[in-house]
Amino acid sequence: MDLVLQLLATGLVVGSLYALCALGWGLIYGTTLHFHVAHGAVFAVAAYYAYVGQKLLHLPLLAAVAAAVLAAAATGLLIDLLVYQQLEKRGAFRTSIFISSLGLLIALENVLAIVFTPDPMRMDIGGLGTAVIIGPVFLTYLHILTVVLAVAGYGLLAAFLKWSRWGQAIRAVSSSPEMARTVGVNLGKVHLLTYAIGSAISAPAGILVAMDVGAEPFRGTRFVLLASVGVIMGGIGSIPGAMLGGLFLGLLENLGIWKLPSEWQSAISFGVFLVFILVRPRGFFGRTIHSAEI
Amino acid sequence: MLKRLLILTAALSLALAATAQAQQPPIKIGAILPLTGSGASYGVWMKGGAEMATEEINAAGGIGGRKLEVIYEDHAADASKAVNGMRRLVEVEKIPFTLTSYSAPTLAIQPIGAQNKVVMMNGGGQSDNLANKAYLYNNIPVVSNEVGVLANWLTKEKKFKAVVVIVANDEAGRNSAKTFREKLTADGGRVLAEEQVALDGNDFRAQLAKLKAAGGDLLFISSYGRNVAIIADQARELGITLPIAATSWVLIPEVFKSKGAEGMLVTRLPFKPDSPFARKFKDKYKTDAGFFAVQYYSGTKIFARAAEEAMKKNGGKLDGEGVKNAIESLKAFDTISGKLVFQPNHAAIMDIEVGVLKGGKVEVEKVLKANP
Repeated sequence: MDLVLQLLATGLVVGSLYALCALGWGLIYGTTLHFHVAHGAVFAVAAYYAYVGQKLLHLPLLAAVAAAVLAAAATGLLIDLLVYQQLEKRGAFRTSIFISSLGLLIALENVLAIVFTPDPMRMDIGGLGTAVIIGPVFLTYLHILTVVLAVAGYGLLAAFLKWSRWGQAIRAVSSSPEMARTVGVNLGKVHLLTYAIGSAISAPAGILVAMDVGAEPFRGTRFVLLASVGVIMGGIGSIPGAMLGGLFLGLLENLGIWKLPSEWQSAISFGVFLVFILVRPRGFFGRTIHSAEI
Repeated sequence: MLKRLLILTAALSLALAATAQAQQPPIKIGAILPLTGSGASYGVWMKGGAEMATEEINAAGGIGGRKLEVIYEDHAADASKAVNGMRRLVEVEKIPFTLTSYSAPTLAIQPIGAQNKVVMMNGGGQSDNLANKAYLYNNIPVVSNEVGVLANWLTKEKKFKAVVVIVANDEAGRNSAKTFREKLTADGGRVLAEEQVALDGNDFRAQLAKLKAAGGDLLFISSYGRNVAIIADQARELGITLPIAATSWVLIPEVFKSKGAEGMLVTRLPFKPDSPFARKFKDKYKTDAGFFAVQYYSGTKIFARAAEEAMKKNGGKLDGEGVKNAIESLKAFDTISGKLVFQPNHAAIMDIEVGVLKGGKVEVEKVLKANP
């Protein structure tokens, strides 16, 4: 029983990271229909922004993290402005956008590896790394913070989308770009805002992993893959769905090895995903995926 | 006039001879090492050791009057990168000899070496499968010798009975875990649970949680590189208070710095931190030397000795087959850590020490002599 509780706790922490990543990726995908795999690069680069802020510019940890989140938001925005919007102006298909996004991911990851080496860059996190013992469960303060931030990130995003004017514009574009344009919404601006917010919501995940085990250049690929799986499981266009999908994957990955050897971890996650999507193609709460959307 | 002409001719021919000497092409050899990735710390030592040996060899006039040049390739613990590096060394650089490292990368390049008659000298990888391979020589003992000594010490003297094992999912990790299990069982202990992890991973909490639930009185880490430090720290973070045991692979700076690794029960292969070599290494590279620095220093020196012998036998000609024959006929080589004798299985035997890791140093409790 102790083992199940520990795996549940670890799963919740990992799931929170996936959830943050899925919230950002899902918001962007749901609004722009860009299969933005370069989100993985934004996730990775956010960690290096925080690392540079703390280790090279000697900022206090909190300031370094805040600056990194802003810089990541700007990075996401610039990717849309300088790459995707230019492609769209030239009438590119969604496939071209996907391929350019993939190219961007690989290029940025390799630049990070050249500049910072492929080795993990560790940050100083002081007391956050201290273990907390809750009954039979062992976690660190950083892990608890991860779960808190995921819940807070979800709450903030949901509130923003529901109650702010810009949030409503994003929702309008998400449900029907044509309709939104007719009523005078500037699609380009809404896309830029979506990229900034989507990147800012996922950046903390990249930074939190880096604070835990060090910043690494190639980590984003796995996270963006799992984020997209989480979003599809949760239902495309659904914010609660993305949150739930991310958490579900983290829990599945950890609880799945309760009785099975741990090398089955990835096979379990993706196997369950395949079965799930065959049984329930709309995900938990979403609309169906059309081939044209990828 | 005639005299002046004679002097001029003599001077000219001397100059010509000198240019000829200088133009004699260098002997190029390869070194396929973990220069980046989870084992980059080993790479620093291995490359440093090979560089120091090369400088000494060249300062003393080279090999048969030719300079030695080492071409480094990075395998980053990846067998396919090792194969690419080996192909380049064999096809482009036409090397007769290469230093190699790590079990999986070395096993991957061995057929290429054997086919092209290129001698491979492994001073780092320890999988038992590296023994008895054509053109591959290991100036290091295979791991079964070491885990045998460790398992015996742990069960007979330290009285551990039930062990949980965390294994790096690669050739070296799996082979050492398998041999450890066999030796431990033979000595009356048993393995309660085993969990595999990725060598380049950095979150092992789920696997450690399972091992924690399995109980036992000792945790054996069958892995190497920086993930050993992460495993030790995360084990402590999860409240695993069991003593930890491991082989000499873990004696690297990352592990010395890890709080979780304090008190680890380890084997060590002979290395003197206060030797002239270690002092010179520290002066040159501003970092402490380790066992693997000596290994690649010795590996390079063994090549120089064998190449000299091969060139003497073949009228100045140097190729891989000649080097192999020279190693086979010489068998024993003088190194800075004593006489090294290649066994019939193409591996070396060495003294094995067991002890406790304290404050970044091994406090040796017992030495098992290779030749009692």
